[in-house]
Amino acid sequence: MIKQYFTIAWRSLAKNKMFSLINIFGLAAGICFTIVIVAYCWLQLSVNRDLKNADHQYIIQSDWKDKNAGFDLATFGPLAMEMRRQYPELVKNYFRFDGVTSNVSKNNTAFRENIQIGDSQMIEMYGFKLLQGNPATAMREPFSAVITEKQAIKYFGRKDVLGESITIESFNGSKKEFRITGVMKTPPPNSVTFLNRDNDNQIFLPENTLSYFGRDLNTWQNQHIVGYLELQPGANAKRVGELMKVTLSSNISPDLASQVRPYLVKLTDYHLGKENASVKKMLYTLAFIALFILGMAIVNFINLSISKASERMREIGVRKVLGSSKAALIAQFLSESVLIVFISTVLSVGLYAFLRPYFNGVLNTELPEVFAYRPVQFFYLFVFALVLGIAAGIYPAFILSSLQSVDSLKGRLGSMQQNVLLRKALIILQFSTAAIVLSSALLISAQVDYFFSKDLGYNKDFIVTAQMPRNWNPEGIRKVEQLRDRFAELPIVQNATVSFEIPDGNISGSSIIYRFGQDSSQGIAAQILSVDKHYLDTYKIPLSAGLNIDNKAGSLLNQMVLNESACRALKLDPQQAAGQRLRLVGWGGFVGEIVGVTKDINFGPLQQKIAPQVYADVKTVNIYRFISIKLKAGNIPDEIQTLQNKWASLLPGTPFEYRFMDEMLAKTYETELQLKKAAYAATVLSIAIVLLGVIGLVAQNVSKRAREIGIRKVLGSSITGIITLFLKEFIVIIIIACLIACPIGYLIMHRWLSDYAYHVAINAVPFSISVGILLIVTIALIALQTFKTAIANPVKSIRTE
Amino acid sequence: MEVKQGEFVAIMGPSGCGKSTLLNILGLLDDPDNGSFMFNGIEVAGFNERKRAELRKRNIGFVFQSFNLIDELTVFENVELPLIYTGVKSAERKIRVDQVLEKVQIMHRRNHYPQQLSGGQQQRVAVARAVVNKPKLILADEPTGNLDSSNGNEVMQLLTDLNEQGTTIVMVTHSEHDARYSHRIIRMLDGQTVLENIMI
Repeated sequence: MIKQYFTIAWRSLAKNKMFSLINIFGLAAGICFTIVIVAYCWLQLSVNRDLKNADHQYIIQSDWKDKNAGFDLATFGPLAMEMRRQYPELVKNYFRFDGVTSNVSKNNTAFRENIQIGDSQMIEMYGFKLLQGNPATAMREPFSAVITEKQAIKYFGRKDVLGESITIESFNGSKKEFRITGVMKTPPPNSVTFLNRDNDNQIFLPENTLSYFGRDLNTWQNQHIVGYLELQPGANAKRVGELMKVTLSSNISPDLASQVRPYLVKLTDYHLGKENASVKKMLYTLAFIALFILGMAIVNFINLSISKASERMREIGVRKVLGSSKAALIAQFLSESVLIVFISTVLSVGLYAFLRPYFNGVLNTELPEVFAYRPVQFFYLFVFALVLGIAAGIYPAFILSSLQSVDSLKGRLGSMQQNVLLRKALIILQFSTAAIVLSSALLISAQVDYFFSKDLGYNKDFIVTAQMPRNWNPEGIRKVEQLRDRFAELPIVQNATVSFEIPDGNISGSSIIYRFGQDSSQGIAAQILSVDKHYLDTYKIPLSAGLNIDNKAGSLLNQMVLNESACRALKLDPQQAAGQRLRLVGWGGFVGEIVGVTKDINFGPLQQKIAPQVYADVKTVNIYRFISIKLKAGNIPDEIQTLQNKWASLLPGTPFEYRFMDEMLAKTYETELQLKKAAYAATVLSIAIVLLGVIGLVAQNVSKRAREIGIRKVLGSSITGIITLFLKEFIVIIIIACLIACPIGYLIMHRWLSDYAYHVAINAVPFSISVGILLIVTIALIALQTFKTAIANPVKSIRTE
Repeated sequence: MEVKQGEFVAIMGPSGCGKSTLLNILGLLDDPDNGSFMFNGIEVAGFNERKRAELRKRNIGFVFQSFNLIDELTVFENVELPLIYTGVKSAERKIRVDQVLEKVQIMHRRNHYPQQLSGGQQQRVAVARAVVNKPKLILADEPTGNLDSSNGNEVMQLLTDLNEQGTTIVMVTHSEHDARYSHRIIRMLDGQTVLENIMI
């Protein structure tokens, strides 16, 4: 019986080739998109799940009263260790690390690498697999290193490198050999080795190596340490959080303790929730889009099935008269729709394989290859297709099978008439979705353009940045300033500056500042930027009052420049700020004198309001990372080559890994750029599906109304009159759809944009454009499709009786 | 052959003899392969589709065997259609449609759909639609072919009345009975007119 159903289903598909193709391709596109999104969500959801005891693994986060006072994802050096020592009944294990960036080399291969220096229990605690080496002892000896297989290939060209060594530079320029004691299998996506974009660590050093880099995990002064805890089964994370606060309070100053509240986040939740839950938001957005696109494809399916049904009524009538039961008819129609969905699913897997590289780019991830999926996942897909086939076929099946047999024999529409309304409602839904997706895509790209075109307050053009070898002491500063001057001498260079921060949103130093003579309770949180005297000139940051640092002769105090926001927060008139003294909390009793005030610039991404900032002299703060070189306009590749040669002669053995400021900025908007690409992909897909649906319906309409068109032509209708006849129906539908789509699109985009402190205004333009595009494309499509019928000789169609 | 203004001509002949082709050419639905066709004193053979359509909608009304009403439109809307295509204003359309519906005695069904009417009623609507534009010529292709005899007679009477009011009628029929309503019968065989019977 079932075999016969499928045979009939197959023949019916083959008979209606146009209908079948539209249905199958529309569905395949929808299913393929769904597979991509599900795979992506799966990847994101499985981050940290493969860690050992994943359900008991936590990361310590800090809630700062003032967001500018410290980092959310860092905590105080000894905290995690202290918790384990004090509460072994609650805390089973801990792990801390300090992330540094330094030069790593092997023979002639040299790169700047992110290096993770942390507690030796890491490998065992999280169950990371070592291809070589002993997990228990790999990170115990000083000057040993564990590297990932990827790094082994990069430096040695092979994986069996146990006992070999790599050279790592310290911050004062000295170099030392590190013996490789373990090669780590590429770890599953996790927030221990890959905390965020800036902490993609592939080289792991034991904690006892820290002093080589002049760092210390075990001092409460260090508040830039990432801490993890593994709790005992049954331990309450909230309770541990409270205990952390107590431990912290007894070890740091009461001022600082009142500012910060440590808390635990489960690692399995951490990834989705981090950075304002941006990953989670992205997943929700994508899942919604996928759901809608799949929905649209299903709507097409239902629509086409119902409209085709009128042609099959006679067949249904005959079957009923011959004794077919309603159930048998339903089964027949369901097997047809299941067959279509199965063909589409197979096709969509092919599409997935074909489009995977493109989607990898859009989603910035590595989607598994088709054959990397496990059989059980294919089984899920099979079940999904089965459910989808039944879901899509059930409505048409019931409608068709419940027609009265006499009615259907005579080809009378009867109850079919009501479906016209339903079908129109479904198309309205589709058009609304397409209009919402399109106008959202336009607004997202407007906002992304705004990111790059907004006057950020400074000039980022032709600025190349590169990290310098670190040597953080007065001698090192003197040297790096000499190097800077050598670069600045080059005729292709306008200006060069040494600083810790560049305007890419990554600001490491922040502090409470307050006016001399007041106390810290009246202080404000401010970002402390370590810069030299060329910084303001290189980035063309305008001064609104006073002087640049280092320009005022005879000052004995540390000089600093504030931005206008900082002045406002301190209740200082920018014009009268110069000469005032400030004190910084936690920078060794640093007292400074304000020498100037700059205008506010957007130092970070536009999500954030401009914060109070203090430009402090690199000579007093003693830390730096970047040299920023502003090139003169000219042949950029040649200029880069000149820089490269200069670098090689000044800093032999140090990699020149330069970035243009534009690229650095683009990196901070990665999520938005991704969303923009995804939105456009979804737009193309949704419009394609809508148009497939329209093609199908118009084709059905044309064949159904062939006689009517003939009659109208005989009665004197012109060709445009006939085309208008079909257009009218759809134009009303599009207009209703737009009336629905615009307010919904407005609300969605309003919410999205409100996450950005600086954003474009929503006006009518993106909505008008999307309505216009939909109208034009649909009209063109319908006109093309109906033109043939409109010019045909009416005698033929009238004769079809 | 020639049909004069005000004539009522019946065309008869076996299936496939070319009656309907002739009617299509007369109705400007088809262009003749060769030869000449003078319509109202103008040579129309070789006219393109647009010119033919223009001439057709102002001068010719059609009545078909299978009525060819549009199912989705009401009686009123079906009859109104030719007036829309010739650009008559809405208020005048209403008056003229109601007049002609009155004339074919189908006024009481003006808001019904074709499916809800009997065959005779449907053909009366079709006749109403054919004459609403006051055409000079009505072409009827077996107007009674799908009707029983009493309904058939009603339709024939309608056509006769129209003819008496001055409309030229050319009708294809198989029925000797219906042919008797006409002034003259043209008999066809294999695409040729073979005989003409003058009835009056």
